[in-house]
Amino acid sequence: MSAAAAPLTGAVLGGRARGLGSVFAKTLRDSRRAILIATIFLASVILTGGAAMATAFGTAATRHEAADLAAAMPPILQGLLGPPVGLTSLGGFIEWRFYAVIAFFLPIWSILALSSTLAGEADRGSLDIVATTHLARRRIAIEKLLGHLAAVALTMVITAVVLVLTGQAFGTLPGDAIPIDAAVGFVALTGLLILVPGAIAFALSPLVGRGASAGIAAAAMVAAYFLNAFRASIPAFDVVAPASWYAWTRGHIPLAGVFDWPSLLAAAALIVVLLAVGVVLFDRRDIGITVRVPTPRIPQSLLGLGGPLMRSFGERLPTALAWGLGIGLYVLILTSAVPALQDVFNKAPQLAEMLRLVYPDVDMTSFAGVLQLVFVDFGLIVMGIAAATIVAGWASDESSGRLEVLLSAPISRFAWMLRSGLGALLAIVLIATFIAAAAALGAASLGNDPVTPFIGSYVMALYGTALAGIGLAVGGIFRPAYGAAAILALTILSFLDVILATALKLPDWVADLALGAHYGKPVVGDWDVAGVVASLVLAVGGLVVGAVGLSRRDVRV
Amino acid sequence: MNAVIQTEKLTKSYGVHRGVVDVDLTVNEGEVFGFLGPNGAGKTTTIRTALDLIRPTSGRVLVFGIESSADPVAIHRRIGYIPGEFTLYDRLTGGQTIQYFANLRGGVDPAYQRSLIERFDIDPRRKYKELSKGNKQKIGLVVALQHQPELLILDEPTSGLDPLVQQSFFEVVREAQAAGRTVFLSSHILSEVERTCDRVAIIRDGRIVRTGRVEDLRDLAHHQVELRFPGDVPVAAFAGLPGVSDVTSDDHTLRLRVSGPITPVVQAAAGYDLLDFVSREPTLEETFLAEYADDPTAPASADTGSAA
Repeated sequence: MSAAAAPLTGAVLGGRARGLGSVFAKTLRDSRRAILIATIFLASVILTGGAAMATAFGTAATRHEAADLAAAMPPILQGLLGPPVGLTSLGGFIEWRFYAVIAFFLPIWSILALSSTLAGEADRGSLDIVATTHLARRRIAIEKLLGHLAAVALTMVITAVVLVLTGQAFGTLPGDAIPIDAAVGFVALTGLLILVPGAIAFALSPLVGRGASAGIAAAAMVAAYFLNAFRASIPAFDVVAPASWYAWTRGHIPLAGVFDWPSLLAAAALIVVLLAVGVVLFDRRDIGITVRVPTPRIPQSLLGLGGPLMRSFGERLPTALAWGLGIGLYVLILTSAVPALQDVFNKAPQLAEMLRLVYPDVDMTSFAGVLQLVFVDFGLIVMGIAAATIVAGWASDESSGRLEVLLSAPISRFAWMLRSGLGALLAIVLIATFIAAAAALGAASLGNDPVTPFIGSYVMALYGTALAGIGLAVGGIFRPAYGAAAILALTILSFLDVILATALKLPDWVADLALGAHYGKPVVGDWDVAGVVASLVLAVGGLVVGAVGLSRRDVRV
Repeated sequence: MNAVIQTEKLTKSYGVHRGVVDVDLTVNEGEVFGFLGPNGAGKTTTIRTALDLIRPTSGRVLVFGIESSADPVAIHRRIGYIPGEFTLYDRLTGGQTIQYFANLRGGVDPAYQRSLIERFDIDPRRKYKELSKGNKQKIGLVVALQHQPELLILDEPTSGLDPLVQQSFFEVVREAQAAGRTVFLSSHILSEVERTCDRVAIIRDGRIVRTGRVEDLRDLAHHQVELRFPGDVPVAAFAGLPGVSDVTSDDHTLRLRVSGPITPVVQAAAGYDLLDFVSREPTLEETFLAEYADDPTAPASADTGSAA
């Protein structure tokens, strides 16, 4: 070896060790943060569920009560949460309680990763450089895919270990232990549910680009989920529900001891086909040249060319419309299930009595009372995620370098931050308006008072703007990208806090840490002023603090 | 002359990383000032500090006599700026983007705005994200120029532009100067600066290493001299002369580099029969490379410091 070659070899070896030795290793390296977040999320959910089950349902009698309660739910809610099978065991309870959260939110990881792994790099221009090395296009695509598959597989292996350990740590009754085959069955299902939408995005990304492929994949996932969830309640859905991969795999409930391995093979086959299509399209098509997906144009008057406030609002408008329409549709469908639930409560007064322990002042036989019960808590989680995406969009002004040009105009940083932040908050209010309109429409269509649910649904605006205020403060003081991350972290922590505090019968102050616990029962017209004031203070105060922070720090590029 | 931009011992550090160190610079009213340096030398850091996008670690920047961090809006009201790297709004068309920034400025002369769009051959109906790099740069230039600011701060403005558009851009710069405006232009393309600027500052590793008029820099540097003799080359007669270096010879040709006055070489050459005597003034690019390419630790020259 020549002297000149030695340092190069050293660099290559060092590069391999740091995950820079190949496209595969680089992809895996880039997935480190996502693996960590997904693993922590899954482990938190499983451990929380295990602890909750052990504490709140430690006896056979309490578990049978819970199972009876779940079995009495109307089909539409059983569709959303999954069939109540094996709820008297620890594993069965965990799978039933968290299936919807896992199956609905974790695929976002794969959608974002696989829509951008090739198309995102093509947008940046770096793919041109990679594709002009000695690596063939097909190999680049396959290595990138394998990198993501390895990241998901690693997360699933850790999750399986956590499942087995949870069974051992929190099992109180015979049958609570989670055997290895059940854990493997669960992570296989979870992994496949994560990958199907990602594979759709991957297949489409060479054709329509990153954003459109991610949007189509997300829409397909939502459609597939709801088609399956509501097939028992909406006859029209039952006709097309067999096309949903959620429907294929619904008979596979491994933590409850029910296995349907062939259904997983069907989902796996779909993934393989979609990934192969993506590889072939990437191999054959021009890099970075995509077909434009026609989307409705936003009217000129809503683009907001007059100033930073309306420009910020106009820029967030498509995201807000997507969230508003999506959640609004969900609320509309949910309201159609309310009469069935009212019927359940009327026929089972002991069930209504149990719920009255949690909501003492709410009439569970009323439309608004049931809507409060089935929508608000879940809605707050979704609203937290929506607020994070809005604040992430706001942050792009600075991270893209656009803020440099904007601030060269005669506007102070403080004023810019106030106006653009206010534009982001208005976008969140718009999302809540869609939700409120859907709740009112649902109520009116069933002959109920639409005004109270309409006003009550603005609790989503309060919660979303409060979280956005915190995000804007963090983004203003530190760096813009931290804003959305802070909102997501708060959303997840609040979700886990409420579950843990309730299940473990922790002191009230633990549950009170979550902002969502301080709104009262707004959908039935019972507002808690403390939560309203706290939200307004967080929204406005966070915006002002963020503006002061941005005024004092360097603008980043 | 009034100083439009003045930096005083400007230092900016990014934690342990160097930004700029003790930068003293003065840009006078009505001049086109070139700010030259290799990538990562500190050009953008200096500019962003002047615009209060980042704050000095020590020292200060005055623009129009106003300290940059004291009243940045008063400064921004009078400037036009194009960053080295930027992204505008993907969902807007080029025309909408230009109009938005015009609105932020409280309105601009529509005739001048239209003339810029025509001169830069911009299609205002196309979405910004669909534009090529050069066309995006043109949008940025119109945004910076359309309100006819007193001071133009342009960070590598011709990046991505084709030669024809570059020519249009330099015409606009000359017009701005003719109208009494000041232009501060950063670049690592020396020929661009040589063609456009009155004065130049060279920054390297965060420090100003030289400032002066473009022609002064060239004269301060050196001449490349080539002498052709009919017979043997008298290397020894020239090698020891003051300012002479890099002496080489082949066949009947002697080549040497002369720093400072060329008179000793001319006088020595007069004592010989010569077939040819060629003295070539170096380009700024050659000066820059000769001066700074070989020695990465070269200290600041005697001319370091204020350019006033």
